[in-house]
Amino acid sequence: MNKFIGIFSLSIFLFSCSSNLDFNQVNDLKSEPVIVSNLATFDLPANQFVTNGIEQYVFFDSQTFDVFRDSFFNKSLVRTDLFFEITNTINRAYIIDVYFLNGNNSKLYTISFNVPAYTIGQNPVAKTEIFENAKLDLLKNSRKIAFKVTMLPGTALTESSPGSLKLISSATVYLVLQ
Amino acid sequence: MRKAVLIIVLLVSISCFSQNKQILYNFTSVPQSLLTNPGSDVKYQWYFGVPLLSGISANVGSSGFSAYDLFADNGVDFNTKLRNVVFSTSRKDKLAINEQIEFFNGGFKIGDWQSNAYISFGMYQEMDFLAYMPKDIAIFALDGNRDYLGKVFDLGDLNAKGELLSVFHVGYHKNISDKLIVGVRGKIYSSIFNISSTQNSGYFYTIQGANSIYDQIISSNITVNTSGFLNYTNNYSGNAKSDITKKMLLGGNLGLGFDVGLTYYPKKNVQFTASITDIGFIKHSKEVESYSYKGYYKYVGLTPDFIGGNSNNNLLQDFQDAIPLDTLHTKYTTWRPVKLNSSIQYSFGDGRGSTCNCTGNEMKYTNSVGAQLFAMSTPRMPFMALTAYYRRQIFDSLEMKATYTLDSFSAKNIGLGLSTTVGKVNFYILADNLLEYQDVSKANSLSFQLGLNIIFPNKNTPY
Repeated sequence: MNKFIGIFSLSIFLFSCSSNLDFNQVNDLKSEPVIVSNLATFDLPANQFVTNGIEQYVFFDSQTFDVFRDSFFNKSLVRTDLFFEITNTINRAYIIDVYFLNGNNSKLYTISFNVPAYTIGQNPVAKTEIFENAKLDLLKNSRKIAFKVTMLPGTALTESSPGSLKLISSATVYLVLQ
Repeated sequence: MRKAVLIIVLLVSISCFSQNKQILYNFTSVPQSLLTNPGSDVKYQWYFGVPLLSGISANVGSSGFSAYDLFADNGVDFNTKLRNVVFSTSRKDKLAINEQIEFFNGGFKIGDWQSNAYISFGMYQEMDFLAYMPKDIAIFALDGNRDYLGKVFDLGDLNAKGELLSVFHVGYHKNISDKLIVGVRGKIYSSIFNISSTQNSGYFYTIQGANSIYDQIISSNITVNTSGFLNYTNNYSGNAKSDITKKMLLGGNLGLGFDVGLTYYPKKNVQFTASITDIGFIKHSKEVESYSYKGYYKYVGLTPDFIGGNSNNNLLQDFQDAIPLDTLHTKYTTWRPVKLNSSIQYSFGDGRGSTCNCTGNEMKYTNSVGAQLFAMSTPRMPFMALTAYYRRQIFDSLEMKATYTLDSFSAKNIGLGLSTTVGKVNFYILADNLLEYQDVSKANSLSFQLGLNIIFPNKNTPY
């Protein structure tokens, strides 16, 4: 009766089959996630452009922006789309400059917007900037983003002038992980 | 990130689980069946398992996909196969691995020939791994969030545990009457390694925003507990082999547990059994390290402050402050997966030879049919399996049990067990999912057990 056991054991091992499996395929692993997120937002009411009855023409702020310092992110990033939308409901025209600065505060790249004074029914100013290849490298070397808002001459504002200058923006990040 | 993807793939490709030992359960010619029910109707004068060979079992199960689905050498791009697996499975799909090796095992009858009380004892090493499909996290790693605006990614999908432990046990079973056998087994667990992350919750989502382009929120309550790894992570200078041996011999994180069970014969040819095993816990206090990500963060992006100027806010720092990585060294307790087994069996056919002078001899049946129920606790829904079986005494020395099992891994699981006792040597081999042996790479679960024992049979006479 040991034969039965023998036959059973043997048959399990001899008659069992397996399709060819190739575990090295893990090396082909490649994922290409596309991640969207906010980039920057501000909303400047008209009265902020007037201090004690005197118009302020230039506003400036720089922000640390060091996500590219992360080497993994830096290496995996293949394309970035930056989208900006500016809605101006103030009766003055503006120029908005977005500067990408390196660690020494040198400008690597500038995006500028001409924002006309408010008129009824006007569309927001929108722009998508695509960063790939050499242009993407400029972005990758950025450590700061600076925003400069310049008010152009026009009808004088008072501290009770209506409206605001609003900027919203987002980033679409294309990664290749392998 | 790449590592994270690899780990996910690994989790996905290993996940198999079930500690259902449907063939061994109530297969009373094998003394190891006492480990599935301490109240099994096993009789012996004494027995011992051949060290390291008395009980070897391995069990792999994966619901949702097989090794073939992911690693087939069929010219299809691996990433396509991976996507198919990720998108065709659900967060309920799991991978489970269980492995046991008996180091020693033995037993003896207490008292004289009229006594019906038995002791059994032993030590085995066990490895358990269970992971659920981390579906939402895998989708995010593969596709990102651009095409999933409005989807709430569930961080609770991260659910995995693994353990390597040794178990010392002593059991006692006794025939209370002709009809009833009860048994109990006490266990001491010594955990060598443990990793568990089963109580996670949280979410993240991206939707169209009102005052910014998106509203993005992450709420995280993730904890990973580990024990037994700490000494090996930083500048380890000891001897890992002797360390692990020490931990196996009650030097690890200790725990206690017990099994209870019974066998009842309402009639001579009708048998009912039930057992609950591994009611127990392990207290992790040595080499404990836990990591947690707990917090809430609403990401609005950069917000220039033109009034103050040079606001210098740091998004990465903000995020890390909102959801910090905490490393703790607090004790924690894990519960062993509790297993419930129950069976009902009907026997027929006179197994006594025609030459036998049968008067006074106990009736011995050739055939039995029965049904078994198995349930086990898991971090989510209990795992359940239903088995129908047929047992036959083929010769005095050869017994067979054939099973058909339904569970979440397979609906066509046919298993076969054989146990032969020649002289005092008992050998058994049990294997299930026999249909899958045509192509094991496509199997969703496989289990396998074998062992060698020396059994001195029970004596019912004084000489």
